[in-house]
Amino acid sequence: MEEYPEELRTPPVTLASLVGCPELHPLISTHLLSEQPPINTLALPDFSKISLFNKKVDPDSTATSPSPSLGILKRDWLLKHRTKLPSVLAVLFPAHHLAADPAYWLQLCSHLDFIKTVVRGRNIKFVIVVVIQTNADEISEDRMIALRKRAEVDAKHVVVLNPNDTSELKQTLHRHAHCGLHSLFFSALFKGTCFEFLTVVSWSRLASSISELAVAYYREEGRRIKQRIEKKNISSVELIVRYCFKVAVYAEFRSDWTEALKFYEEAYHTLREIVGVTTRLPAVQRLVEIKSISEQLHFKISTLLLHSGKVTEAVTWFRQHKNAYKRLVGAPEGIFLHWEWMSRQFLVFGELLETSSKIIQGISPIIQATSSKPLTEWEYYSAYYYQLAAHYLSEKRSALELTISMSETSNEIDNVADSVVPSVYVGQFTRLLEQGDKVDMLPLTDEEYIRYAVSEGKRFQDSLEIIVLLKKAYESFNSMKIQRVSSFCGFQMAREYFAEGDISNAKQIFDSIASLYRKEGWVTLLWNVLGYLRECSRKNGTIKDFVEYSLEMAALPISADTGVQRDSGPAGPANLRQREIVHNEVFELVGGASGLETNEHPSNLNITGDESLQLEVDLVSPLRLAMLASVAFHEQTIKPGTSTLITVSLLSHLPLTVEIDQLEIQFNQSKCNFFIANAKKTQSSNGIQQHRTETAPSLSLESKKWLRLTHDIQSDQSGKLECLSVIAKIGSHLTICCRADSPASLDSVPLWTLDGCVQTVPIKDPILVLSGQKSTQVEEPDPQVDLHLGASGPALVGEIFLVPVTLVSKGHDVYSGELKINLVDVKGGGLFSPRDSEPYATDSHHVQLLGISGPEGEDDSQLYSDKIKKIQQSFGLISVPILKNGDSWSCKLEIKWHRPKPIMLYVSLGYTPYCNELNAQSVHVHKHLQIEGQTAIVLNHYYLMPFRRDPLLLSKNKQASEFGQSESLPLNQKNVLIVSAKNCTELPLRLKSVSIEVEDDAEKTCSIQHGSEELLNPCLIVPGEEFKKIFLVSSNMNISKLKLGTVCLRWRRDLGVEEQSASTSTLSWVVTKQKLPDVNVELPPLIVSFECPPYAIVGDPFTYYIRISNQTQLLQEVKYSLADAQSFVLSGYHDDTVHVLPKSEHILSYKLVPLVSGMQQLPKFSMTSVRYSAAYQPSNSSNSVFVFPSKPHFKAAVSTNNRVESVANE
Amino acid sequence: MIVCVAVVGHQNNPLYIQSFTEADDALKLHHIVHCSLDVVDERVNNPKKSGPMLNETFLGLLYPIENYKVYGYLTNTKVKFILVTTDLDVKDADVRNFFRRFHAAYVDAVSNPFHVPGKKITSRTFAERVSTIVKSFGFSSAG
Amino acid sequence: MVREVSESCVDSLLTEMVACYCNRFYANKPELAARRIEAIGYQVGHQLSERYTMERPRFTDHLEAIKFICKDFWSELFKKQIDNLKTNHRGTFVLQDNKFRWLARMSVDPSIDNASSVEDNSAPTPENKAAQAMSMHLYFPCGIIRGALSNLGIPCAVSADISNLPACSFVVRIKA
Repeated sequence: MEEYPEELRTPPVTLASLVGCPELHPLISTHLLSEQPPINTLALPDFSKISLFNKKVDPDSTATSPSPSLGILKRDWLLKHRTKLPSVLAVLFPAHHLAADPAYWLQLCSHLDFIKTVVRGRNIKFVIVVVIQTNADEISEDRMIALRKRAEVDAKHVVVLNPNDTSELKQTLHRHAHCGLHSLFFSALFKGTCFEFLTVVSWSRLASSISELAVAYYREEGRRIKQRIEKKNISSVELIVRYCFKVAVYAEFRSDWTEALKFYEEAYHTLREIVGVTTRLPAVQRLVEIKSISEQLHFKISTLLLHSGKVTEAVTWFRQHKNAYKRLVGAPEGIFLHWEWMSRQFLVFGELLETSSKIIQGISPIIQATSSKPLTEWEYYSAYYYQLAAHYLSEKRSALELTISMSETSNEIDNVADSVVPSVYVGQFTRLLEQGDKVDMLPLTDEEYIRYAVSEGKRFQDSLEIIVLLKKAYESFNSMKIQRVSSFCGFQMAREYFAEGDISNAKQIFDSIASLYRKEGWVTLLWNVLGYLRECSRKNGTIKDFVEYSLEMAALPISADTGVQRDSGPAGPANLRQREIVHNEVFELVGGASGLETNEHPSNLNITGDESLQLEVDLVSPLRLAMLASVAFHEQTIKPGTSTLITVSLLSHLPLTVEIDQLEIQFNQSKCNFFIANAKKTQSSNGIQQHRTETAPSLSLESKKWLRLTHDIQSDQSGKLECLSVIAKIGSHLTICCRADSPASLDSVPLWTLDGCVQTVPIKDPILVLSGQKSTQVEEPDPQVDLHLGASGPALVGEIFLVPVTLVSKGHDVYSGELKINLVDVKGGGLFSPRDSEPYATDSHHVQLLGISGPEGEDDSQLYSDKIKKIQQSFGLISVPILKNGDSWSCKLEIKWHRPKPIMLYVSLGYTPYCNELNAQSVHVHKHLQIEGQTAIVLNHYYLMPFRRDPLLLSKNKQASEFGQSESLPLNQKNVLIVSAKNCTELPLRLKSVSIEVEDDAEKTCSIQHGSEELLNPCLIVPGEEFKKIFLVSSNMNISKLKLGTVCLRWRRDLGVEEQSASTSTLSWVVTKQKLPDVNVELPPLIVSFECPPYAIVGDPFTYYIRISNQTQLLQEVKYSLADAQSFVLSGYHDDTVHVLPKSEHILSYKLVPLVSGMQQLPKFSMTSVRYSAAYQPSNSSNSVFVFPSKPHFKAAVSTNNRVESVANE
Repeated sequence: MIVCVAVVGHQNNPLYIQSFTEADDALKLHHIVHCSLDVVDERVNNPKKSGPMLNETFLGLLYPIENYKVYGYLTNTKVKFILVTTDLDVKDADVRNFFRRFHAAYVDAVSNPFHVPGKKITSRTFAERVSTIVKSFGFSSAG
Repeated sequence: MVREVSESCVDSLLTEMVACYCNRFYANKPELAARRIEAIGYQVGHQLSERYTMERPRFTDHLEAIKFICKDFWSELFKKQIDNLKTNHRGTFVLQDNKFRWLARMSVDPSIDNASSVEDNSAPTPENKAAQAMSMHLYFPCGIIRGALSNLGIPCAVSADISNLPACSFVVRIKA
């Protein structure tokens, strides 16, 4: 686009001319240029220069031209209208020329007459500007009218301009009022700043006058030419094109884009029609002319379309344009001109599209599926056009080369070419013939023209241009993530670089492209690119690259003829033969024969002496094609020191067999590394004797056939044994290091998987193929240490349970041994329950590892406290001292149960049998033991009333039905609390004490007798036995929640026979505590007590008193009844109602005669308190009496204490 | 005249590519086919641009380049068929018909139990059938 | 041109194939046999989906493809559609065939009606041996579904559930 002349590239701008008052011209020009739309000015220094506009003898303006025109468009026509031929002439007169001297006036008039004649011939409009220089200037109205008449212009085209005035507004106002010239002047304001406005107003008046006249001028001119077209009697079609073009340009001058477009298109179509018709010029030049004009027209049309946002139309237009001229190739020797032209079309349109897409944001191409020839997305991308421009330019280059090679007489061409210049017509060239002072333009023959064009063409470096174009396309496509096309552009670009000798650029681009083709498996394209890359590395002398590219090429899956034969670059045709050639070439090179010394390639590739070349083939390398290693251990775990089999399989897709000299198999345990040597190639294994060397009868790697080698292997080192890589040594210089793959995870080889060849497996064993791994697990040596957990019986909740752990070394020394202890809940739940709101953190663990006590007989706390590295609630680590073979060591774990829960105790010992730290091969022994946790003693308690004394407890009565309520105790009465402790284990236990610990603040609320007495001797409780202790509780405070305290039980296991020897002081007692529930203390309103003799004798009557005492201040009405009893005869009321006075007693007395001996139930008494409507029945136990058959004889009195106890024991 | 047809797998790998020109410009055609995959991608990934052709297997003209026109077809199984022709005036119906027959041939070829999915199509029967279809391109629209 | 094949032939072929792999090729390795059978089904599904999606606009989403499997694909294979399709809208689809043709002629021990899924073949107790043998036959249709969907661009895992015979549910879990 840059090569177009400016007048073509930009829309035309109105041209006006200035004459007179030259000192004002720059000011006016600047102003007019800043107008919208801008107006260009042509300043004439004086009036004589007006004659420039005089009409020349114009061949085509003489309506019927005598001869057919020599060309279609004149080269300078557009420029003339934009820079030389104004549409409007502004004539400036100083005001005083009007006012003062008649001489001035005369001169003015003559100027005017002259101008009028010139201007009329050209139809140029003109404006008269009267310049007021000073305030003194007064222009009379008469003079103005005279001027107008003289000049024959409309009043509005006479403008008064005051360029530098003024502060005296009054005068201005006066003047304007006087002259009545310009209404706008009256709007002048009173402040200095407003003067600007005033001036501007007069300026804008001038500008609008000029532009108005200019539009009129262009319209008239356009119309004039249009009439010529319409007359239809134009001698040649060329003229129609020219006229249409002119009309369009005139329309453009006045910004009438639609009309401009219409006529440009008209011109374009007309032009296309004359292609085959006209015979005016020799064929080649004729085509050149037409094409250059169509190019101009097309450019104009596209610009107009794009500027109005009609992208789709523009693209469609371009497509038509391209199609219309694509086949107009012309004479064979001039083909390059055609391609050049085509290339330019694409380039220019691409540039237009690019600039317009910057302006019009987000053109969204919508493919009209409905239209018969829908546009495609890419036709909206400028990159697409650049790409094709580059393509046609390269076509041009080859065509040009062809033409040059055909015409050998180069010297004389230059002479001719020197004198060829562009002619006055667009797209034409003539020969300049200088004969003395005379210059003649001679037409050219086609031959001469071609020679000229060729010599011109030679001056350009097309390849640089091509690279620039491709780079634009490449980057643009790349930025749009259209990677395949951008790769293609890159490929072409790199090819140009390559041809230019810019190897580093070429290589870089080729490399990036190759990866895409590799990824998508476009083998032929990859082959091609690799061919270039191979040549690049050959030219650079980078031998490693050369070998890599060559190997990849040779291993590409090209078997059948892919049809790519020609134009395949340095790679040569893609077929098997070529692969073999490449293969041989590279192996000759690395074979160290002689380098690549051929005639064409003075090689810079040489491997000399000890140089060696190592290629790495990892899991993503393209060289996996060339060599692939798969390694499988036959067993997934092996014992240390025992041997297993390992299969190493190699696969190559190189076309020819490769002879491997030696293979090295490397493992993560470098001791296991070994070599496989080729028996055929006897070579001195120098200095590698520290590793095992196997010999294989043959190590020839055939194409696409697995080379399978199975060897045995053993390792002493426990842990993972993994094969890392397989290194193949080929020839004296080349080693290929393949990362090992497991057959199970063997990715199929890229590219070849797509090929139709039969896939083979690395190992014949079908199981190993699916599951074979390149690594195996070497087990650790068998432990030779006994770990013994000696726990006996279940553990009891609360006690510190000791688990003795014993280590006995039987064949191994133990170094840096460590015991790991882990407690795990058997049922799977956690060992602690965070939800339980127990006050101490330790208690939140149901089972807890407390610590460890050392070997017996030693002071454990000092020696081993530091050995316990870490003791958590359920986990511990203990260091074990160094043990020699045969030694033993033991310790005891202290575990405490808080809840009855079975746990699994895991103990594992890790140690190394050798003191050498470096070779730390640890051995592990694991033991586990399930231990039950049991509750040792279950505590129970209950309350009893005093003997035969029953208070009426209202709350008890009321809540009789409800469970879970706290018990009620009568106020001020002695209550009996019985605490029983039952041995639930299967072991005898020793009980030291049962006591009730009263909380401090509860002390005064009640009194407990026998609270903290210890037993004299620890009492033995056998399994299942229950131990009871009695407390007397009384309270004199009427509170609903009496805190009684906590039952505290001290016990331990019975030591059996050692019981005697164990001194009581050293033994620790387990304390079991259980809080007593709160009780309710209340005042009983009535207390019933019974009195009867301690025993009775059959037939001997006795008195049975029932004492009802009223504890309240109220009169109590009591209904009572005494039931009949079979064993007694009784006298007295069976039922009655009595009234008991406040704070007094009512005594009922019955005479009873026992009839039967033995323990007999006394007649049942029941009563109901009317006031509380509470029925009451005393308990049965206290209501019996023993009846002797005859009077007994007692020797001694029985202590009351024992009697109470015996009663409680029932 | 059809100069090239190709089957491209769902990973954009060539499964079958055959040119039918006298001139030996297979490499160039390979490039053209490969580039056309970008248009297929773009058209499939920006369905709103393709408007009413949404989800149709026939993708229409992919792009014109130099003297060629490239047409595309995308099966439900993400296999692409590419057709490169030099004809200036191609009837849409002809191309559709071509692709339909081509698809049938392809399905028959890959239904061969010895064909491994995703591998190149090497069947000679397929090649013969394709060349028949190519030769009859434009002559009959009945198929 | 519709070529057809005898139904009993297909049944016999399926039975023979399963028997071959389970009892002969991989007699002691049921997992490997299952993998092989599934792989065969995969290829069949892969190729059939290619054929049955001809002349059909491309699917826009997973559901469309699954519906295709349920309706047209199933009709082509079994002359009936899937009876019930359920989804959790997070990539799991359950395709239930109330009378799955390939199980229809299989004798089932009536005492066994406990759940047995294809994935779960861990306990070879004699009583669920029959269920296990049956589940072996389901690897093939599972493979077909997986092959078809994979070919349509939906990688997935397919398992079968025969907890309420003769209905058979195929569970398709689409891999994200």
